[in-house]
Amino acid sequence: MRRERIEEISAADFFYRNRAIAGFDNPVRATYTIVRELVENSLDAAEEAGIPPKIMITMERIERKENGSDLMKITVRDNGIGLSAEEIPRAFGKVFTSSKYRLIQSRGTFGLGGTMALLYGQITTNKPFIVSSAKKGDYINRMTMMIDVQKNEPIVIKREVLGIAERSFTAVESYFEGSYARAKRKIVDYLYQTAIVVPYADIMFVDPDGVVFLFPRSTDEMPPRPKESLFHPKGVDLELLQRLIRASRANTVKGFLKTSFQRIGDKTADEVLALAGIPAEKRLKDLKKEEIEALYNALRSYDKFMAPDHTVLSPLGKKLLEEGIKKELRPEFVYAVQRPPSVYEGHPFIVETAIAYGGEIKPAGEIQLYRFANRIPLLYDATADVSYQVAKGINWSNYGIRSLEEEPIALFFHIVSTKIPFKTVGKEYIAAVPEVEREVELGFKTCARELKLYLYRIRRKESLAKRAFLFRRFYEIVAECVEDITGERPSVEVLLKTRFGDLYEGSGEGEDNSGGEES
Amino acid sequence: MKDLVREKIIQVARKVKEDIDKGRFPELSYPPNSKANIKFLEEKGYLFEPKSFSTISGDRVKSLRTLSGVLYGLSRALDHLENGLTMTKRDFYYLHKVQKFKGTLFPKEQRETDARIILMELLLGMPREAFSITSDPRGWIYGDIELVDRSGRLIRANEVGEMGYSVPPRPENITFKRIGVKAVVAIEKVGPAKNMIELGIPEEKKIGIAILQGQASRNMRRFLRMLSDEGVPIAVLTDLSPWSLRIAATVVYNSINSAHVEGLAVPEARFIGIKTDDVEEGFFSEYKFALEPLTQMDYKAAEDNRHLPNLQAPIWQKENNWFLEKKMKAELEIFKAMSPSARDLKRLYVEYLSMKLEEALGISI
Ligand SMILES: Nc1ncnc2c1ncn2[C@@H]1O[C@H](COP(=O)(O)OP(=O)(O)OP(=O)(O)O)[C@@H](O)[C@H]1O
Ligand SMILES: [Mg+2]
Repeated sequence: MRRERIEEISAADFFYRNRAIAGFDNPVRATYTIVRELVENSLDAAEEAGIPPKIMITMERIERKENGSDLMKITVRDNGIGLSAEEIPRAFGKVFTSSKYRLIQSRGTFGLGGTMALLYGQITTNKPFIVSSAKKGDYINRMTMMIDVQKNEPIVIKREVLGIAERSFTAVESYFEGSYARAKRKIVDYLYQTAIVVPYADIMFVDPDGVVFLFPRSTDEMPPRPKESLFHPKGVDLELLQRLIRASRANTVKGFLKTSFQRIGDKTADEVLALAGIPAEKRLKDLKKEEIEALYNALRSYDKFMAPDHTVLSPLGKKLLEEGIKKELRPEFVYAVQRPPSVYEGHPFIVETAIAYGGEIKPAGEIQLYRFANRIPLLYDATADVSYQVAKGINWSNYGIRSLEEEPIALFFHIVSTKIPFKTVGKEYIAAVPEVEREVELGFKTCARELKLYLYRIRRKESLAKRAFLFRRFYEIVAECVEDITGERPSVEVLLKTRFGDLYEGSGEGEDNSGGEES
Repeated sequence: MKDLVREKIIQVARKVKEDIDKGRFPELSYPPNSKANIKFLEEKGYLFEPKSFSTISGDRVKSLRTLSGVLYGLSRALDHLENGLTMTKRDFYYLHKVQKFKGTLFPKEQRETDARIILMELLLGMPREAFSITSDPRGWIYGDIELVDRSGRLIRANEVGEMGYSVPPRPENITFKRIGVKAVVAIEKVGPAKNMIELGIPEEKKIGIAILQGQASRNMRRFLRMLSDEGVPIAVLTDLSPWSLRIAATVVYNSINSAHVEGLAVPEARFIGIKTDDVEEGFFSEYKFALEPLTQMDYKAAEDNRHLPNLQAPIWQKENNWFLEKKMKAELEIFKAMSPSARDLKRLYVEYLSMKLEEALGISI
C-alpha cells in the first residue's frame, strides 16, 4: 500500500471505496463491525498495558426509524493503556495512523478499523463522537470530535478535562445508523468466541433491549507479550522495502540491510548485495528504482537466511486455550496443542488446535469448528477455511469418532502470525497454504489421538458399568424366582460382591461381554 | 405327575440357591436336543439318548440371561400348575412382556421364549404340557370308544357331535373304559374324514376315525400312542405329497423338533396311503388325470425329504422318488373325482379301506 498516494485522496472517498472490505456495506453488517473494531482496539490496548482486559459495551437505540435501521449509540470502555491529550485526535481523527506499524503480532494492523467505525457513525448521523481517555495519574481528557473528511484531519469540537485518572482507561462513544435485531446473533457470537480465545478478558455487553451479556474471565494469566522485531528479509514486499529504505537512517546499502532486517549480518549482507549486483558501500540515498528492484529480487532468491524469529508471535498456549474452551463450552473433555513455530513465505506462524467433546457440547448435524486468527474469532466462510478442509479430510473413525457432524465434538483452530494468510480481503478464512495445512493436520491429529484414548477409557468404563448393572438386575430376577419356588432367597449380594467387587468400583479387567441376547 | 413336576422344579431352584450361597456362579446342566443326543431306530422312531451335556452358567451376562429366564419360566410354570391353570406358548411370551423386565428378560419376539420352553423341557426331562404349557388342541376321534377324561365324565366318542371327541391338550389324564373298534384310521384331511363319518362307515365297519387336520399335533400323537398302547391298530391315511409323507412319518416316528419328548411316536402305526402304487397300477390308476402338479415348494420339500432320518427306509424313499420323478401329487379328494354320487363314494371308501387295512394290518372289515 502506497501511503503517499492514499493520503492524496480524502478519507471520505477512501471510506466509500473500501466500505465493503472494511465491513460497512449495510447497516446490519456495520452494526456488527463497529462492535468488533472497537472491542479489538480495547483488547489490544489492555494487552499492551500487560493487564487482563476489562471491557464494557453499551448499545442504545436512540430513535427508531421506519426503514429498520435505527439511530443507535455505542459506548465501549476499557482498562487499556489509555491515550494522552495529544494522542487522542491523532489515533481517531485520521485513517492510517496506527501505533501498530511494526513487526509484532497484534489485532490491529493498518490504523483503519476503529477510525472507519467512527467515520461511518459520523457520515450516517452527522453527529460527533466522543473519546474520553487518560493514562494513569494523568489528566482525564474528554474530547468531542469530528473528522474533516476532506483533509483527513481531526476537528476537536470540545475538550474537557475531568480530573486525574487513578487508572488508565479509554471510552469511545459514537452514534451510528444501524440495525441491532439482525446483527444481534453475530455480535453475541463474536463476543462469545472472543471469550474463548481471550479467557483472561472480562467482557460485559448491555444490548439495546437492556439484556446484559456477561463473559467473565476465568483466569488472570495472560500469554507472554510478544517481542518486537525487525522484518525478516523474506517477509517484505517491494512496497514495504521502499518504505523501509525511506525510513532508514543508514548511510550505505549494506548498513541498511544490517540495521533494518533480522537475520542479516556482515557476511549475509555481502552475499545478498553480490547477488543484486550492488556495491556494498553504495550510498542508500543513491539507490535507483531499478537497483531497489534488483535488491528486492536478491532478497527473494537468496536462500540461506535463517528462519524468521518467532518470538514476535504470541500464541495463546495449550493451557489458556483449554481454559477458554472449558469456560465457555463446558465440555467433558478438552485437549489443545501448540504446534512448533513454522514459516510460510518468510512469515513466522504458529498453529494451535484443540478438540472438545461431550458435556454441554451437543451434536449439531454439522462440523462445529471455531477459528481464530491472532486471537480474533473468524465467523464467516467456515467451509472455505483450510482447517475445515483438513477436518473433512481426516478419517475420524480411526479415532473412535463415527461422524464429526453427529457427535458432540467441537474443533478449534488458532493461527498467530505477523501476516495471517487470509485467502481474500474479507479476512474471514485462511488459505490452504501447504505449510499451514500441514500444521493444522498434525495439530488436529494429535488432539484426536488424545480424544481416542479418552473415549476408549470412558466407553470401556461405561460398558463395564453396564455389565455390572445387568449382572445385578439378572441376579435380582434369579433371587426372586428362586425365592418364589423354594421359599428361600439366595444371598446374591454376597456373590456379586465377592465376584464383582472390582467391577462395581469400575476398575475391573476382564473380557467384555456387555449386552446379552440368547442365540 | 403334578408332584413329580413340582419336585423337579424345586430341585432345579435349590441347586441354583446352593451354588449362590456357596459364593459360586450357579450352573445348570442339561442334555441339548442336538444331533449327537438323538438316535433314530426304525422300530421305535426318534429316541432321545443324552450323551453330551451343556451348562447354563451365571458367570457371563449372555448365559445369565438364559439362567434367569429359565428360573422365571419355572416359577411361572409352578404357579400355573398349583392353581390348575394352563398357558399357551403365546401366553408364556406375554408373561415376559412386563415393565420390570425392560432391558433384561423383555423378549424381542416369541421365538426367544419358545426356545426357552424347549430348554425347560430338556432341563426337567418333561414335555411342556407337564408343566402347564399347552398348545391349542387340534384333532378329533370318532368311533365306538368310551373314555373318561379330566372332566370326570364318561364320553362315547361317537356321541359327542358330528366330528367326535375333541382330543384335549393333555390326553395323559384319559382312561379308556371300552374300545369297540377294530382299528383307528388317522386321516390328514378333515373333508374326507367327515365324509366317512357322514356315510356311517365307522359304525358299519367298526373302525375309529382320527381327524388330524394337517400335521398331527402333539396331543393327537400322544393320544394315538395311548390307543396303540391299548392294543388298537393304527393306520395313517394322507395325501400323496412330500408334506403328507412327513405327516405320516411324524405319527409313526415323532419328529426331530420334539425328539426329546417321549411317547409321541406310534411305531406300530402303518402308513396305508395314498401310495404311489395306488396311483401307478392300483386303486387310482384309471384316474391319473385327477393328479395335481407339484408346486416349487412341494418339489423343494421332496428334495429335503431325502435327508430326513425318519424317511430313510426304502418304503418312504420309494414314495419320495416318485415325486422327484413325476412331479405330481395325489390328494384324498380324488375319491370325489371318481364318484359324483354318495352311494358310489361310500362303496369306494369301504373298498379302499378294506383293502388297505387287510394289507397293512391284517384286519378285515
Ligand atoms: N481503546 C484504545 N485504547 C488505546 N489506544 C487506542 C484505542 N483504540 C485505538 N487506539 C489507538 O488508535 C490507533 C488506531 O486505531 P485503529 O483501530 O484505527 O487502527 P489499528 O487498530 O491500529 O488497526 P486496524 O485497522 O487493524 O484496526 C491504534 O493503533 C491505537 O494506537
Ligand atoms: Mg483497530
